[in-house]
Amino acid sequence: MAASMDQSPVPDSADPKATVARLSQVSFSYDGGRTWALDHLSMEVRAGEHLCILGANGSGKSTLGSILSGATAPDHGQVELMGRSVCSDTPGQGRQIDTEAYRQARRSIGMVFQNPEDQIVTTVVQDDVAFGPENLGMPRQKMLSCVPAALKQVDLQTRMNDNPTRMSGGQQQRLALAGSLAMNPNMMVLDEPGAMLDAAGRQEIQSILRRLTAQGTAVVHITHLLEQARHADRVLVLDHGHILASGNPVRILEGQNLPVLAREDAQQAGSEPDRNTSSQSATIHADTKSMVGDRADTMVKLSGVSYSFPDADDQALSHVSLELAAGQTLAIIGRNGSGKSTLARLICALATPDSGSIQVAGLPLAGPDRPKARHLRRQNLKLLRQRVGYVMQYPEHQLFADSVAQDIAYGPHNLGYGPEQVQHRVDEAMKLLGISDLADRSPFDLSGGQRRLVAIAGVVACSPQLLVLDEATASLDPQACARIMTLLRVLHRRGVTIVMSTHADREALGLADQTLLLEHGETLAYGPAAEVVKRYHQLLATEAAEKETNRTQTDQKPLSLLARLDPRAKLATFLLAMFTAFAISTPRQLVLALVVTVGLFGAARAPLRSIMNSVKGFLALMLLLALFNLLVTQTGRKLAAWGPFVLTTGGIWVAVLYACRFMLIIFLGALLVETTTPTQMTDACESLLSPLSKLGIHTNEIALVLSLALRFIPTLGREVQAIVEAQAARGGSIESGSLSQRLHAAIAITVPVFAGALRHADNLSRALDARCYEGSRQERTHYRLLRLGRIDILFIALMSLYLLALLLHPLF
Amino acid sequence: MSMPNSHTHTVANKDTRFNDVHSTGAGGSGRWSTKRIAVYALFVALAVVLSFFSFPIFPAAPWLKYDPSGIVVLVCGFAFGPAAAAIISILGFVPHLFTNPFGALISMIVALALSVPAALIYRRLHSRKGAVIGIVSGAILGVIAAILCNVVITPFYAHMSMAKVVAMIVPILLPFNLMKFAIHGVVTFLIYKPISTLINK
Repeated sequence: MAASMDQSPVPDSADPKATVARLSQVSFSYDGGRTWALDHLSMEVRAGEHLCILGANGSGKSTLGSILSGATAPDHGQVELMGRSVCSDTPGQGRQIDTEAYRQARRSIGMVFQNPEDQIVTTVVQDDVAFGPENLGMPRQKMLSCVPAALKQVDLQTRMNDNPTRMSGGQQQRLALAGSLAMNPNMMVLDEPGAMLDAAGRQEIQSILRRLTAQGTAVVHITHLLEQARHADRVLVLDHGHILASGNPVRILEGQNLPVLAREDAQQAGSEPDRNTSSQSATIHADTKSMVGDRADTMVKLSGVSYSFPDADDQALSHVSLELAAGQTLAIIGRNGSGKSTLARLICALATPDSGSIQVAGLPLAGPDRPKARHLRRQNLKLLRQRVGYVMQYPEHQLFADSVAQDIAYGPHNLGYGPEQVQHRVDEAMKLLGISDLADRSPFDLSGGQRRLVAIAGVVACSPQLLVLDEATASLDPQACARIMTLLRVLHRRGVTIVMSTHADREALGLADQTLLLEHGETLAYGPAAEVVKRYHQLLATEAAEKETNRTQTDQKPLSLLARLDPRAKLATFLLAMFTAFAISTPRQLVLALVVTVGLFGAARAPLRSIMNSVKGFLALMLLLALFNLLVTQTGRKLAAWGPFVLTTGGIWVAVLYACRFMLIIFLGALLVETTTPTQMTDACESLLSPLSKLGIHTNEIALVLSLALRFIPTLGREVQAIVEAQAARGGSIESGSLSQRLHAAIAITVPVFAGALRHADNLSRALDARCYEGSRQERTHYRLLRLGRIDILFIALMSLYLLALLLHPLF
Repeated sequence: MSMPNSHTHTVANKDTRFNDVHSTGAGGSGRWSTKRIAVYALFVALAVVLSFFSFPIFPAAPWLKYDPSGIVVLVCGFAFGPAAAAIISILGFVPHLFTNPFGALISMIVALALSVPAALIYRRLHSRKGAVIGIVSGAILGVIAAILCNVVITPFYAHMSMAKVVAMIVPILLPFNLMKFAIHGVVTFLIYKPISTLINK
C-alpha cells in the first residue's frame, strides 16, 4: 500500500555509513493494532541531508519522528539508527528491542519539539545548554568551549546568563536547538519546531537549519507547511501512515497537487476567496445594523487607557484609545509582548486599568462613570459576562468536563438558563463549529484542532454580543483555522461585534473593519487594515535591523561578592541565620543581627527595589503582628490605656522585637534568593543532601525535580491565572453563588490546571529523554564547579562567629 | 507478535507505571524514569503556585487563609502512591523556607499527615469507598497535625503563652481547619477520577 509517486524510498545499496537512520516495513499502532498510525513504512535518512517530512495532522509524521529519534519503538518492522540495529523483526523471533543499542544511538540524535517552553530545564541560558553534555558525561573543559559554540550557532551568544523563561518563543526554540547541538548530534529531528512561532521566528529557525546541514548534520524537519520544505534536499510526503511521495522539493512542491497540505499563506487563513466573502458580509452587515439598533451603538470605547502589571516597571499599555461600533470587527496586531492580550483582558474586565476609561456593551468598566457601589459593580460584571465572550489564547486549556456537550453547557448554565435553553444553545454552538458529532466524546480524547473548536463553542454558546478572541488560530492546522474563520464570518453577519488579536496579517485584512497596531503597549497605527498592516511590516523590518546592531550592546555587570560565593556556604549559613532569628530576645542581640544583615546587603550590592517588591506582601502581615503583640503584652510600665487596651513599655518592646525578627527572616530569605540562581540553589541542595544518598534517598533526582519545579512555577502560575480568568468569563466563580455552583467552579478550574501540569510533564519528560538524562545511573559531569574557596571559608567563619555570639549571648 | 518485554531488554525497569509497549528504554534507565521526574516536578510546581492563590474562608479569623495546595498532594498520593505524596508534600513547601521557615515546616508536616495516610489507604482499597475513607482519615490527621503545630509555633510569632494559644483552638483553629480540610477532601473526591484517567492515557 505504500504507494510512492516517484522514486522508491526503499534503501539503496549505498554503504551503510551514508545512512544515519533506516526503517523498513515499520508499523505503529496507538490502540493495540486496531488502527495503524504508520503502516509498513520504509525510508532512510542519509548522513548530512536536509530531509523534510510533510503531512497533515494525523498523517503519522510525529510518530515517524519519534521512531527516528529513538524515543519509541514500532510494533513491527526493523529500525536501524546510527548504523546500529536497534529494533529487529524476524518471522521466527518476532520483534526485538535492543535497549542498549537504542541508548547508544540516542546519544548521537538531537530532538527538538513543538512547544519551546517545555524543553527548557533551567533558568540560565548556558546551564540549560550544558544539561545535555553533562548527561553525556562530557569533560568540563570541553563543555566550556562547546556550550558557547552551540549558542553562537543559534545567535544567542550574548544571552549566556539570561533567563530563558523570559525569552520569546523564537528565542526559546533557538535555545532548544543549541541544547541539542551542544551534544554534537549526527542527526537532528525537529517536530514542527515553528508551529508556535510567528513568521519571523520560523524564518530564523529555517536559516539555522540550513547552516546545520552545511556543516554535515543530518536534519529531519517535520512540518505541515509546504513553504518550509522549499530549501530541503529531499521531501517525504506522508498521508495516513503511508508515503505519498518522496523526492526533490521543487518537483514535489510545484509539480503535484497535494491536497493534504497547506501553503504557509493559506494556513494564516483569509486567502483570496475569504476577502470576497468578507466584503459581502460587510454589505450584509450594513443591512443588519438596523436589527441590532436597540443596542448601544458603540460596543467598545476606550479612552486613554493605561495598564501596568503589578510586578513590572514598564507599562503594558499606555494611552490606548479606540471606538468600535456594534457589529464591527476590530483586529489587534503586533508582536509578542506588545500588549495585545492585555488589551483583550481589559475589554473583558479581567483586569482594571491604572487610568483611562473603558465602556463595553453599554457598561462602564473603568473611568468616572464606573459605579462606586460594590453591588452595582458586581451587577455590571454579571451583565458583562452575559454580553461579552472571551476566547483566551490556547482556549483548549480551559476544557474540563467529561463530555464535549457538558463542557459547552458550562457557560450557558452559569448564566442561569433553564435545561432546555442550555441544550438548545449547546446544539446551536456545536452546529456552528461543525462539531455536533463530537458531543459525547471526552474533550481530552480529541485532536488539538478539535479541542480548540470545542473551547470556542463553549464561549459562543453564551451568545455574546461581543466576542473577544486572543490569537484564536495560533498553531492550528489549516482545516481548523478555516472553520474558525467561517465561524467569525457567520457571527459577523449575525451582527456580533468581534475583537481579535492576531499576528497573522491576512486574517486581519480579510475580516477587519478596523485594525489597531500595538508596539510596546502604544498605538502605532489605527485604521483600515491595509495601511496598518503595511506599517506592521515596516516595523518588523526595522526591528530586524535593530536586532543586529543591539547584539553587541548587552554588557555583563560584574557579580557582587555575595553572588560569587559558593551557594552551599550561602544556603547553609543563611538558613541557620533565619532559624536562629527566633532566638533573638535582647536589644544587644537584635542590634548584632541587624548589623550583620545590613552588612550582607552591602556585600550583595542588592537591588533594594526588587527586594522590597518581593517582600512588600509580608510587610503588611508584619504590621498586623506588631499591633497584635502591642496589645496582648501588658508587662512593664503602663503608658496609656483605652478601655481594655493597655499600652505598656513591655508591649512596645515585644512589638518591635517580634517585628524585627520577622523582618530579618524575610529580608535574609529574599537576599538569598536574589543573589543565587535556581541552578546554584539546586546544585547546593544536591551537594548538601548527598550524604542522605547513602540511606537510599535519591538525592540527585530530588535535586533535579526541585530545579525543574522552580523553572515551571512561573509557567504554571500564568496558566492558572489564565484558566481562572477564562472560566470567570464564562460566569464561573468560586467567590459567589450557591455551594454547588462554587464547587462546580472549583472543578472547572482544578481539572484544567492538573491537565495542564500533566501536559507539561509529558513534554518535559520527552525533552529530558532527548537530552539523554538517565539519572545517577550515568556518570554525569558538572558544568558548574562547586569549590569552597578562601573567601567562602572566610564567609562561613564570619557567619559562624555571628551565630555563636547570638546563641551564647544569654550565658554572659 | 509484539511482545511488550522481549528478552533483549537489557535494563529491567521497575518503573512500570511509566512504561509501555513502545518503550526503547528512553527515560527508563535511571532509578526514576524521566516521566516520573517530570510529573513530580510539575506537581511540586503546582503545589507552590496554588499555595499563592490563597483567600480567607473563615470570617472570624481573616488572617488564616485557605490555599488549594493540599489538593495537589492528595491527588498525587492517589495517582502515584504514598512515596510520591511524601515527596510532593516536602518539596512543595521548600521554596517557602526562604520566606517563612517555620511556616514552611508546619505546612510540610500537615501535608504529610494529610496525604500519606490517604494514599496508603487508597492503595489498599482501590475504590470510591477507599477514596472516601482515605480522604477522611487523612483530613482528621491533618487537622490534628495542624492544630498541634500551631500551638507550638504561634509563640514564635506572637508574644503568647502556649496556654493562650490552646484557648484559641476551639473557637478559631478547629473550625478553620475543619473547613479547610473539608474543601480539600470534597474537591479531591470530585476530581481524582477524571485526573487519573488523564494520567493513565
